[in-house]
Amino acid sequence: MRLTQLTRLNPHPPITWLLSAVAWLGLGLVLGLPLLGLLPVVSIGLNPIGWQMLWSDPQTLPALKLSLFSALSSTSLALVLACSLVFLFYPSKVWQRLQQQLPIFLALPHAAFAIGLVFLLAPSGWLVRLIAPLAAWTEPPLWTTTQDPYALSLSLALSLKETWFLFWVLTGLLNQQWLLKQTWVAQSLGYGLWQTGWQILFPQLLSRLAWPLLAVFAYGLSVVDMALILGPSTPPTLAVLAWQWFADPDPNQQLKAHSLALLLMLLLVLGAILAYALYQLLHFSLAHPQGKRQGIRRFGFLKFVLRYTLTLPFWLVLMLILLWSLAETWFFPHRLPAELSLQAWQQARFEPLYQSLLIGVGSVGLALPLSLIWLEWGSRQPAWLYLPLIIPALPFTAAQYQVALTLKLDGSLLAVIWSHLAWVLPYMLLMLTGAYRNLDERFMLTAKTLGYSHWQSCWSIKWRLLLRPILAACAVGFAVSVAQYLPTVFVGGGRIATVTTEAVSLSAGGHRPSLAVQALLQALLPLLGFALSLSLSQWYGRRHPGLN
Amino acid sequence: MQLNDLKSKNLTLKIFKLSALSLLSTACLQASAADTDWAQIEQAAKGQTVYFNAWGGGETINRYIEWAAEQAKQRYELTVKHVKITDAAEVVKRIQTEQQAGRTEDGSVDLIWVNGENFSALKRANLLYGPWAEQLPNWSQVDTNKPVRQDFSESTDGLEAPWGTAQLTFITDRSKVSSPPDSAAALLAFAQQHPGRVTYPKPPNFHGTTFLKQLLLDLSTDRSALNKPVDPTQLASLTQPLWAYLDQLHPVTWQQGKSFPASNTEMHQKLADGELLISLSFNPNEAASLIQAGQLPTSAYSFGFKKGTIGNVHFVAIPFNAPAKQGAQVFANFLLSPEAQARKAEIKVWGDPSVLAADKLPATQTEASVLPSDIPTLAEPHASWVEALEKEWLKRYGS
Repeated sequence: MRLTQLTRLNPHPPITWLLSAVAWLGLGLVLGLPLLGLLPVVSIGLNPIGWQMLWSDPQTLPALKLSLFSALSSTSLALVLACSLVFLFYPSKVWQRLQQQLPIFLALPHAAFAIGLVFLLAPSGWLVRLIAPLAAWTEPPLWTTTQDPYALSLSLALSLKETWFLFWVLTGLLNQQWLLKQTWVAQSLGYGLWQTGWQILFPQLLSRLAWPLLAVFAYGLSVVDMALILGPSTPPTLAVLAWQWFADPDPNQQLKAHSLALLLMLLLVLGAILAYALYQLLHFSLAHPQGKRQGIRRFGFLKFVLRYTLTLPFWLVLMLILLWSLAETWFFPHRLPAELSLQAWQQARFEPLYQSLLIGVGSVGLALPLSLIWLEWGSRQPAWLYLPLIIPALPFTAAQYQVALTLKLDGSLLAVIWSHLAWVLPYMLLMLTGAYRNLDERFMLTAKTLGYSHWQSCWSIKWRLLLRPILAACAVGFAVSVAQYLPTVFVGGGRIATVTTEAVSLSAGGHRPSLAVQALLQALLPLLGFALSLSLSQWYGRRHPGLN
Repeated sequence: MQLNDLKSKNLTLKIFKLSALSLLSTACLQASAADTDWAQIEQAAKGQTVYFNAWGGGETINRYIEWAAEQAKQRYELTVKHVKITDAAEVVKRIQTEQQAGRTEDGSVDLIWVNGENFSALKRANLLYGPWAEQLPNWSQVDTNKPVRQDFSESTDGLEAPWGTAQLTFITDRSKVSSPPDSAAALLAFAQQHPGRVTYPKPPNFHGTTFLKQLLLDLSTDRSALNKPVDPTQLASLTQPLWAYLDQLHPVTWQQGKSFPASNTEMHQKLADGELLISLSFNPNEAASLIQAGQLPTSAYSFGFKKGTIGNVHFVAIPFNAPAKQGAQVFANFLLSPEAQARKAEIKVWGDPSVLAADKLPATQTEASVLPSDIPTLAEPHASWVEALEKEWLKRYGS
């Protein structure tokens, strides 16, 4: 009743209607269309024959265990590690160092990271080469390291990578004042930071981490490239099985692939329910604190170990990729290449780099205005917007491809940008929603009271206050676009080559220097995006102190 | 009776002469018609863009295709784009999806590098354009003694043009292995002597499945059954020696057979690093070109099984909905030219053996590291064996 009166008193000006329509149209095009295309995919997946074949396939059950183990363990480990980093180092000199390195850890694509880890950890890898002369090995030891049958190396690699993603999200949350204030209060009452962290901040952060955690879990369930490089092969994980069956021309395999895609979605829902139950349990158990102070502890050894086990692998991986891109011949047990040359760089193709740049800038250029307009004039509870982050990439990409095919747009740059938007847009919204929610509404109210229109107050007050998260969201969006493999291949009809498709197709081959060049280029692009975003926001922050 | 016989003989002769004459004249007519047809095709190809879908995992191959594309641009004003794929089966799937979506004209693939079960899948589903291959001007130079009309016992029917030949080749390192195994049984003994140093790519990887077929051929007493489509009633008894062999081999392979490399190129790297002692390839010159590229030590060399190794031909085909059918034919014809074939066979370029008759090509140098020429070539089993073996392998060892 009151609401209708309010609208009658203050009818929406046409511009608001227009913007709202733009927001709905844009989101409908980007997310609605492929979701519609998903209907046939899902309906095929419901076929009981497919489930029967899936059930009778001897690979399914062990693959299910592997997928569940790697996704669950990597998600929980990453959560614990990221929170530990925050509670041990915030705020300190080390914290700042970690912040400086963060863009590099985030920008390094999963595929490139996995490739580098193999260079590092394989039985003929660099670590073994380091100790080979001491142990008098002339041949690599018969060890099982990468591609172990229990998916341990895959889980560890995923946790390392996702720790920094969660750390990045946490950094965004920490910029909010309430957190600092609570920390001060707890510390003044004699609680150490470690205890404050786990008992007071952690439960509160968890609710804000729900979506990022679900995204991490979904990623762990549906990752293909990393699982191919680091994961086991007899059987592989469910996602790899789905990928192989989807690409198989045999209709029976197709049917199994569709059922498997549904199974992956089901696992995600189960994971979410489990996580929610654990969350409630945690709240229940923390409801009555004992008030026992653990005091201020130094954690010197833990700090040392945590800091270097989480950062060193990335630097070693980067160093090895760089070295391999310059190596001419480099056999076991040499620690360094026998000969260096620029040959791989001279023969490298740079066209994929330009394509990636174009697609990335295009996606962010479309996604940014769309998400700002959506947050302002669209609906505020956009849970369904995050579906692409949750639905395993394969059925979703297949649906996108169907749509592009029907519209005769497959193979065009525009269609590839459109397909990337399905991931870029939710990630950017994810980054922006939190900041939006935490912005003090009174700023806008004051601006409006002083006679600014809604549009004006957004333009001159709100979006400027939010510049830092906006720039961060752009960097993330760009990185997400650069790393897309499946939609580029599917919707691009194989015709659009980006650094990612190039690196993955080269990883099937044997020329490590060429592979290393493309992997480095793949890392370089998002890295530049993050560097640009960070330096811009630092520059703006210096000129406008007290920014969110 | 005799008279009748004579008469009929005379008649047969007459008919034969007549028909020979008419055949000759139609052949002439056809030839000139073909010439004008080809000129028309070349004309139509000008300005077209050919999307050539070919495996993109080999640097030397990619560079060769780049060269061929440059030549096509200069000579025929034809743009060729190499779409780098990881598995031809993905492209088969894409063409299938396009057909189901009613895309009968403007497909995404103009030319595809293919053979074996992928060709047979495309052919069976009527997804190929043609016949066109034997109308190419350069078809006359093809060595038809090679199995260029049979692709895994499936008749090509002019739906694909041969591009190169292949023979399964094992590679090892002379500094570690002086007398390589020359049969399946010797390979097992070798693996038992060197536990953890022998393996093969995980089927359904192309090279992995070929390795299975190679073992099957080597272990079978009756090879003729393998040239026919799989008979489900006989499958178990025919493949029994293979599974018995693998049950013995796997405990002594790399990672005790719990894990397999994804591809033979991964095996090359492991061979170079000493993690493995044997790698394999379909290119008899692969060891030589990998040595040149610095990817294998100079002590690497090739060997085969005494009773022979599997050989086949790889092809290029045009999908039914290719927009640039003329351009694709012109490019395929160029790939068949003596110049392009000779360059392809050069070890420092690619080292892929030619499909042309030997006298059409300049003499090539031979290197110590390539597969000895006295290793016989065995015919591929029928295409249906691929799926049957892969399925059974996955059931037994896939999990």
